[in-house]
Amino acid sequence: MSATNNPTPGEARAPGPSVADTLRRDSREVPAPLLEQHYAFLGDEDLPVERYISREFFQREIERLWPNAWQWACREEHLPETGDSYVYDIGPYSVLIARMDDGGVKAFLNVCTHRGTRLIDAQGCAYTPSITCPFHGWSWNLDGSVRNIPGQWDFPHTVGDSHNLAAVRCEVWGGFIFINLNPEAAPLADYLGVMPAHFAQFPLERRRIRAHVQKTLPANWKIAQEAFMEAYHNFETHDSPHGANAQYDVFSKYVSRFIHTIGSYSPTALADYPGDKWRSPPMSEQEMLADLSIEGRSLAAGETARQVAAQAIREQLQAQLGVDIDRCSDSQVLDSIEYHLFPNMFFFPGILIPMVYRFRPNGDDVDSSIFDVLVLEPLPDGAAHPEPPEPTRLGVEQSYTEAPELGWLAPVYDEDTGNLDLQTRGLKTSRKGLSLGNYQEVRIRRVHQTLDEFMDQGKPFR
Amino acid sequence: MSDREFKRVASLADIPRGQTYCITAGDVEILLCHAAEGVFAVANLCTHAAARMSEGKLRGCRILCPLHGAAFDVRSGAVLSRPAREALRSYPVKVEGDDIYIALAE
Repeated sequence: MSATNNPTPGEARAPGPSVADTLRRDSREVPAPLLEQHYAFLGDEDLPVERYISREFFQREIERLWPNAWQWACREEHLPETGDSYVYDIGPYSVLIARMDDGGVKAFLNVCTHRGTRLIDAQGCAYTPSITCPFHGWSWNLDGSVRNIPGQWDFPHTVGDSHNLAAVRCEVWGGFIFINLNPEAAPLADYLGVMPAHFAQFPLERRRIRAHVQKTLPANWKIAQEAFMEAYHNFETHDSPHGANAQYDVFSKYVSRFIHTIGSYSPTALADYPGDKWRSPPMSEQEMLADLSIEGRSLAAGETARQVAAQAIREQLQAQLGVDIDRCSDSQVLDSIEYHLFPNMFFFPGILIPMVYRFRPNGDDVDSSIFDVLVLEPLPDGAAHPEPPEPTRLGVEQSYTEAPELGWLAPVYDEDTGNLDLQTRGLKTSRKGLSLGNYQEVRIRRVHQTLDEFMDQGKPFR
Repeated sequence: MSDREFKRVASLADIPRGQTYCITAGDVEILLCHAAEGVFAVANLCTHAAARMSEGKLRGCRILCPLHGAAFDVRSGAVLSRPAREALRSYPVKVEGDDIYIALAE
């Protein structure tokens, strides 16, 4: 590469129409947040391999990252009634979240204040109207206060709230219950930054969990989540022309985004990709409409695949779900709009692509992670949340197609996760660090830079 | 199943979906659980510390003990989480119209 092809690092963009160009042709008014662009060059140094494969690094994340990071544990509808509770595990830590009499929620360390026994062993939904330790039978009220200590005469030193369950910070946004193990953590709002404003038009609390799939992946949690942070891989991994001209934004230390348009791409952005596919000749608008599974509809002069597909989906959802999305822009209906919240959460405000992801370490295994996919469907106005589905749990060797509730997404996730084992094994035989694209992979770099702050300044759990 | 003796124990109308209903057969308490997958019958006393599962909660196909949080799969009685280690006894169920029958003897 000559220097003239590489002016100021981070300034170059894929040739051809940008996401902003596509959004300007929307059939509806595009919400202002989707028109914002927030990119900054964050450096181009390689990321050391050790960040992904070393036990020491992983252990420091356990000590410094996870005890200080806000993270969603469950949805409000997982604990609809007084006494309902939910157990969320992250690394060695376990948190019990309970629904109070007054409708609020509180969170506690899931541990007996007598001799440290884990109280509720199973992850997921529980019911703890009077939580009782299985070892000596100490019990607590829903608010964490001591209910009964058998043989109280021997414990005159349990006074006041000395042996209440240890409170954990807990806040709610978008129907998600977030916890933070650091009692002095800054409020969740500081962390969320632009997200409440950006999700205001389609609040996530007014969505239901249509599907929940939880899969064990054979890779470090960061390797796993980074497979979902850029659309650069779409050409090779998904055999798709979309994504080569995606837009990437970094809003803060904690929040980043990509917008990757569907039903529109830039053939010139594929100029140096292998072969002529989708470039010579490019897909016609009619072919793109078929690619969006809209068959038997001929485009009239001046109509675009995006406008027609978005309208078909609006009408379909209105009929199927009773949800009025007429005012939603083509972009909100169709595109892959993905927000990442540090360290491990993804939220999509879209309609056709309406997921939420979470990537966690699997216990103390450096090379294994748990990937939760929630498909969040809009809930009709006034409708109550139905009981959420039990997660479908898939092992490392299982295919996403064994979770039929994922529909067309299942083979896509198989493609995404098919590279993880190769990358994990590859990194172990690599002397070189990982190189990142200045623009398309900037979100990955942002996560690592924020991670470094936690690794340096995070308050150790103990 | 055909050679077992089924006995009518409840009406489907007694148990909305997602709910449980406790019956007594002799001195045995049995919990009928109406999950999305159908009606199932398991012993009502937790195998861990004999708490009444009828005071717990049915979530999906899991019955949750109110005392120490043990969970069982109502379809088979199998233990899903500690501190329980033994399965709940499970009873064959037949639903005919509005009538729920269970087979008590092996």
